[in-house]
Amino acid sequence: MSARALFARELRLAFAGGGGPAGPAAFNLAALALAPLAIGPDTATLAAAGPGVITFAALLASLQGAERLFGDDAGDGTLELYALSGLSLSMAALIKALAFTIAVFWPAPLLAGLGGLAYGLTLEASLVLAAGIALAAPGLVFIAAFAGALAAGLRRAGLLIALIAAPLQAPLLVGAAGAARAAMDGTGLAGPNLMLALAASLIAGVLAPLGAGAALRARLD
Amino acid sequence: MERAAKALDRADSAGLCLRAMDTAVSPPPLPPARLKTRRLRLARGGKVLVRDLSLSLASGQALVLTGPNGAGKTTLLRALAGLLRPVSGEVALEPGPAGWLGHSEGLKPGERVGEMLSFWAALSGAGSAEIEAASRAMALGHLARRPCGELSAGQKRRACLARLALSGRAVWLMDEPAAPLDAAGRERLARLVAAHRARGGIVAAATHADLGWPDVERLDLGLEAAA
Repeated sequence: MSARALFARELRLAFAGGGGPAGPAAFNLAALALAPLAIGPDTATLAAAGPGVITFAALLASLQGAERLFGDDAGDGTLELYALSGLSLSMAALIKALAFTIAVFWPAPLLAGLGGLAYGLTLEASLVLAAGIALAAPGLVFIAAFAGALAAGLRRAGLLIALIAAPLQAPLLVGAAGAARAAMDGTGLAGPNLMLALAASLIAGVLAPLGAGAALRARLD
Repeated sequence: MERAAKALDRADSAGLCLRAMDTAVSPPPLPPARLKTRRLRLARGGKVLVRDLSLSLASGQALVLTGPNGAGKTTLLRALAGLLRPVSGEVALEPGPAGWLGHSEGLKPGERVGEMLSFWAALSGAGSAEIEAASRAMALGHLARRPCGELSAGQKRRACLARLALSGRAVWLMDEPAAPLDAAGRERLARLVAAHRARGGIVAAATHADLGWPDVERLDLGLEAAA
């Protein structure tokens, strides 16, 4: 009951105060639009770089909202109220990250699919890339949320979040980008790569909220 | 429209509201409550602020904490809530967890007052009648559709008090509850606390101002520290 209420509230707040998906999506799009300018006009090179660049853009976008995910709660006193709400802080972290994935991060697979086509990937590879990002998205957000909880309320939290989260997000990066590359090269390894992304997401979904809960608890003390 | 709501609100404060609160919605008594510490020692930033504090409050009692800035009032409240680990000693707060009114409001600027109250009511299982009663008691009726970020400091505090009233908790811990409130707001606060104590609740409040609550225990942490 209270978990559902918190989920509904976080969805509502993502749009009421945070601008919904606009921030990370704009960041993602900017990265996708700028990378080809640096890579150059050769279509073969662009298509080869596509899966990696597009997945990396999604990863960066996942870090973009992480600072505010718990930073605001720690700063405005909401954290104390959640800690005393009867829900465990790990549960609250899990719910917040899920709501963030759905409310804020949903355009990422869409942008990845469209980006794939724009970078000259085949339709099949673009769809596999979109699927890879969709499977990796919860994991990316969970890990970003864990880093956000560790850095909540600190100055320059953004820097710390990137340093903590990026290495942990590596398996998701490898899985999602690897799936699209395998689809492009026809190696038949797209499926296993997608499974890797899903597995990493599930592991992050279990471990990251526990870590985030402990970090928030320690912050209160 | 807004003005009409305000006028209605003023009529409420003239006494209509009190009667409605007392008769129409008389909330059931709370379970037996207890707030006890035994030889509690608290430190903040390496400095011991509270040493060997033993206190005991039962249902219906209230404690007012006073003392100069930095004496440890907030630290003690946080330890009572279980948010802060004591250096030594024990805190027993039953039934937990505590209802919390902190120094930081815990309000989201983009969220409407009504939505905020509904959320916290859902968390504690309170119904719409209780929301109605709490926002009436804190004169929030005309503010329900206002985003929390647009409220004045006093209105924010009243919204927090309504949230606390909806928490259904037996033990209330309040940090400077009256600070931003005007005279009418303080009167409403005093009535809220009196009603909570009458139901068998416990209240512990840190304050600089004289709250004017009758029949309270007092603890001066400044004297405590000097002793």
